[in-house]
Amino acid sequence: MAEETRPSKKPEKRIRIDTAGGALLLLLGLYVTWERRVLPLGTAQNPGPGYFPLLLAILLIIFGVILILRGKVSRPFNPIPWSEASHAIPILACCVFVALFMERIGYRISLFLVLGFLLGIIERVNVWVALALTLFLSMGSFWLFDTLLRVPLPRGWWGF
Amino acid sequence: MEVSIHNLILGFGTVFTISNFSYAFLGCLIGTMVGVLPGVGPLAGISMLLPTTFGLEPTSAIILLAGIYYGAMYGGSTTSILMRIPGEAASVMTCIDGYAMARKGRAGPALAIAAIGSYVAGTISVVGLMFLAPPLARFALGFGPPEYFSLLLCGFVVLSYMTGGSVIKNLSMIVLGLMLGMIGIDQMSGYFRFSYGSVALGDGLGVVPVAVGLFGVSEILATAGVSGKREVLKPRLKDLLPSREELKDSVGPVGRGTVLGFLIGIIPGSAHIISTFVSYAIERRVSKHPDRFGTGAIEGVAGPESANNAASTGALVPMLALGVPTGPIPAVLLAALMVHGITPGPLFIKEQPVVFWGLIASMYIGNLVLLLLNLPMVSLFVNFLRIPYRFLYPTILMFCVVGVYAVNSSMSDVWIMAVMGALGYVLRKMDFETAPIVLGVVLAPIIEFSFRQALAMSNGVYAIFVERPISVAFLILTLIMLLLSLKPLIVKKRDWRNRLTEAEKEC
Repeated sequence: MAEETRPSKKPEKRIRIDTAGGALLLLLGLYVTWERRVLPLGTAQNPGPGYFPLLLAILLIIFGVILILRGKVSRPFNPIPWSEASHAIPILACCVFVALFMERIGYRISLFLVLGFLLGIIERVNVWVALALTLFLSMGSFWLFDTLLRVPLPRGWWGF
Repeated sequence: MEVSIHNLILGFGTVFTISNFSYAFLGCLIGTMVGVLPGVGPLAGISMLLPTTFGLEPTSAIILLAGIYYGAMYGGSTTSILMRIPGEAASVMTCIDGYAMARKGRAGPALAIAAIGSYVAGTISVVGLMFLAPPLARFALGFGPPEYFSLLLCGFVVLSYMTGGSVIKNLSMIVLGLMLGMIGIDQMSGYFRFSYGSVALGDGLGVVPVAVGLFGVSEILATAGVSGKREVLKPRLKDLLPSREELKDSVGPVGRGTVLGFLIGIIPGSAHIISTFVSYAIERRVSKHPDRFGTGAIEGVAGPESANNAASTGALVPMLALGVPTGPIPAVLLAALMVHGITPGPLFIKEQPVVFWGLIASMYIGNLVLLLLNLPMVSLFVNFLRIPYRFLYPTILMFCVVGVYAVNSSMSDVWIMAVMGALGYVLRKMDFETAPIVLGVVLAPIIEFSFRQALAMSNGVYAIFVERPISVAFLILTLIMLLLSLKPLIVKKRDWRNRLTEAEKEC
């Protein structure tokens, strides 16, 4: 019991959200400043294509520094709970999968795989329910958008 | 162009065709569903469904998309009242007294007043839009590049102040959006900027993949793993009618909410959200029994619900008259019009009278449809809330992919959506508002072009921005807003923006 109530000797050193956010903006500003070097800057009187991006990068650096300096007053950065991360990572992976393969294997097959993965494996929905829903959604949405609304969706190598 | 019987006849003549009337009805129906379902806001809803309008006439397309927009404002109240979860952000304040009324068995009257208030506010604000947009457009015909630059600069500062939360964070998100908007070919010199040899990036980032990523995908990433069934209170149809006293108590809040909402709607920022907060605060202040607020006061439902509908119409004024969107949703609507080859701006009403007056007439019809749709069908919409989110989010993700891909039939847009989804998720974790990014992306080419064109006009003399009266007026307003935003650094007192952020977190 005594151990539970004993105050911690070390001050809490958790990263603050504004410090993290400010650092992110600062890095982005520096990156844009570096990348902009290939674009002609022009002059203040006759700005070139690199002028506005540099101006914005400088603003971003200034805001980043202000946020870092004022970071102490913001709340600590909460670690992302596993329940959220265990969903967020596969969902993002599904987006990447679709972006990589949808034009190669077609809309219907890629959506069938993605929906099947999300419903059957991530959400552990009953296999028959997952299969029925996956089939209905992937085929039904293709029919609705491609066939009915004439929005062309990719068919893949084998025309399906 | 004056508001005349001829124009109204033109508008109603456009809407009263079977197809356009059906699109108005369909837009309202989809909008209500979008509003009812938590996690699918009007912005993601409109962006996802934008490709379905490509085959339509421009008038039909804008009627459908605008229907989704104001329909979502009606639908959002249902979830707030019955579940204490705002269906969309503008219904946060309705959670407080709406849910308290529902707990007392008065869910029906709360829903009815929300629908009636929304109808009255929606209809009156369309009258405002009808009378205000044409003269504003005429006035804006005198705007040159310096005026547009100062107007946009002023708009950005007002937006960062009015969005709530930290002004520095909001400004940085606008700058981030502007930076993303710099990607692609430079209009004046023809240089490719930050495109790394990619043809798709050379065209610039589209507003749809950015909006769907930031609002659709990031919302899914943040909420998919959150478990927990929440109780849905089911209203009985026979209990829908409010009592005479409740109706009497709602008249003032609806009137005040309408005027307030419409005026706030014109200002850049999250107008539809802010208007509900201001309306709630005013109703509480003018009430003879402020202690009733929070325990189920009908005024706490009537005012904010009227205000958010009026604000959503008010936000269309600058978009249609000036071609300048004041929030992310009008920005996507603007993009939708541009897809159809129409560029809103001062000449829009004059050159496209069928589209403008057709939209106005469709909004009169749409508000009536929504009133008739919401009350009897509320039990049906409630059933959507019973669909577990684990079934819902894969479906939403599918719509995100289709919506984004179909705009340009480009996989690059799906990549952009995924990257924006991840970025939005990270930014949310750091309490950044993502709405200003969308606006920045849309307005980046306009503000840069105006700036460089103004300097070209003046042979590089910056005095052009302060020599022209309209431009200098906008710059003075910008300065005032900047000084106002510095106030919290000097005065350590919670202002309305802190309270708005707290209220949003509470719900």
